[in-house]
Amino acid sequence: MKKIAIGATFAAVFAGLVATAPVRAEDITIGAVIPLSGASATTGKDQSRGIELAVKEINANGGVLGKQLKVLVEDSGGKPQTAIDAAKKLVSVDKVPIVIGEYSSGNTIPLGQYLVQEGMPHINPASTSGLVRGIGATSYSVVGLDNVSTEFAAQDVIDHGWKKVAVLAMNNAFGQGVAEEFKKHFTAKGGEVATTVMYTIGQSTYRRELQQVEAAAPDAYVFTAYGTEGALIMQEAFELGLQEGKPWYSILITMMNKDTPADFKAGLIGMDVGYIGEGGDAYKTEYEKTYGETFLSAYGGYAHDAVLFAAAALNKAGSTDKAAVLKAIEDLGKEGLKGATGEIKLDADGQRTHQPYLKFKVEGENLVAYD
Amino acid sequence: MFDFFIHVASIACLYGVLALSLNLQAGFTGLVNFGLIALFGCGTYGAALASGMGWHPLAGLPAGLAMAALLALFYARLGRKLSSDYWGIATLSIAEILRISITNEQALTGGAQGISGLPLLFADLKPYDGVPRLALYALVLVLAWFICQRIVKSAFGLAMKLMREEPQLARSLGYDLDAIRRTVMLISGAIAAFAGFLYAHYLTFVGPDQLMSPETFLIWSMVIIGGIGNNWGVVAGAIVMQFAMAYVPFVKDALDLPTDFVAAARLVIVGGGLLAFLLWRPKGLFPEKVGGSRGR
Repeated sequence: MKKIAIGATFAAVFAGLVATAPVRAEDITIGAVIPLSGASATTGKDQSRGIELAVKEINANGGVLGKQLKVLVEDSGGKPQTAIDAAKKLVSVDKVPIVIGEYSSGNTIPLGQYLVQEGMPHINPASTSGLVRGIGATSYSVVGLDNVSTEFAAQDVIDHGWKKVAVLAMNNAFGQGVAEEFKKHFTAKGGEVATTVMYTIGQSTYRRELQQVEAAAPDAYVFTAYGTEGALIMQEAFELGLQEGKPWYSILITMMNKDTPADFKAGLIGMDVGYIGEGGDAYKTEYEKTYGETFLSAYGGYAHDAVLFAAAALNKAGSTDKAAVLKAIEDLGKEGLKGATGEIKLDADGQRTHQPYLKFKVEGENLVAYD
Repeated sequence: MFDFFIHVASIACLYGVLALSLNLQAGFTGLVNFGLIALFGCGTYGAALASGMGWHPLAGLPAGLAMAALLALFYARLGRKLSSDYWGIATLSIAEILRISITNEQALTGGAQGISGLPLLFADLKPYDGVPRLALYALVLVLAWFICQRIVKSAFGLAMKLMREEPQLARSLGYDLDAIRRTVMLISGAIAAFAGFLYAHYLTFVGPDQLMSPETFLIWSMVIIGGIGNNWGVVAGAIVMQFAMAYVPFVKDALDLPTDFVAAARLVIVGGGLLAFLLWRPKGLFPEKVGGSRGR
């Protein structure tokens, strides 16, 4: 019995070793690590759709270096360990020239650091934490970081005449970044953050947190939340009467708008990354045609653009050689590239210099952009 | 391919060390610890502390071991009052409390964004750093195995097993159960923290997400599948599980399946594997040996 068990153990290990499929030689393959399971799976799905549409678009226009482009998508499981496992596979087994990834900053940072250690080009399609800037030399972002988005939000809140606000954000890498950066910009612009409450995600109620922010008696509530949690927060704020006469402002409003019923979000305003920049209409139409629904999140467009950017860099480099690709990314970052989220230009740290942000207000179920 | 194999094997070694630590507690002493990951976290945050304070990276090891020792003593102290099921629940909640505290203590621990940029072990030897690292991890695994094996074969090991099987009898024979619990927790805590320290200097990133409770249960499933109460078995369990999960993406590539398959398959491997073993082979791949001429 023991021998059988040992045999089975080795068989399992070697079956795994042998079962690697060689990537077809006629394709150019790049890698992507995104969360297809775990807490951010919905966003991951949106990212994979963005990638799929970008690949279709690129291949319809002649592909990359005269060959067909393929994106090998790996699941990060929403965990740093699994994300790095996936990146190691892409780099050492599939030998991809560029890796795109991940979604949440807590995973993107270790993933990027590993890639930087290997000297591999890394494109961040979603994480907005300020720490992303420090990942290293071969890491680039096609999405603007927190400091840019929260400054926009702080200005918008000030412009509405609200000087004293309470901030409510989720207690994770993203939420902590937003809360900290928002406070910095808001205070610099002459506002006052009366209180900041960080909530743990996945709770069945947020009444305690809501009562805490209410106690600060602010002019307005500023919050950021993911899908169903945002819906619950809005519902409970409504039930507790916190929406009566007090405005609510959502940072990255598209994350939670879809899940929130119209009754609980009357008068809600907010901002988000403009997932549609110049030239993004074609992407939006194609997305809705292919998947039969509107965007699941704001991040599909960025994943789409990360692929466009990678493909353009490969074409510019003329080969998949690491050094040539890195040089091409730098050059392309200076020249700029038109994507679905607008023009992508990178600064000296390889981070996106500016990006479109939109002000939104809720009308019934839907979001309407306004100026 | 080779690099990837080295990577997976390295992580498997560290999981093996963790599985040995849990086996010492749960397998031999009957200490159902659902908060193992917090002891591991002492090691990772010891490394992070050294990095944050600008100390020599090696200074993180005693720091991690000291934290692990305190936590282990605290766990052991709780065990005096609680029966084993309640102790399991208490350890789970303490591990969660620690994780949440780390998330909130932004100034000290970097909060949810964690601490990045720790020095990579053997980074100077690039691009041949993988093999010496694996060799070191394998050596640590062998040493940990040897220590565990010596302990369970000693007279003290017999006392541990007696405490697991018949605590009342052990007490009536004059064994000090609190002392046994304390010693076992200290030794296994140190082993887990050591694994954490090595892990932190491999991943070069330390964050509270690494300390989620499912990680503890992943180690539990390795121990149960491998064979609880058998040091060979739990190491085999750790290696099999880690390789199975790491190589799922290749099966996907070979069969041209969608990536969603990987996520689902991993869940099935952990949950389904655990269930299958509990139902059909509750003693695991390598069952515990009881009795025999060398069976002490």
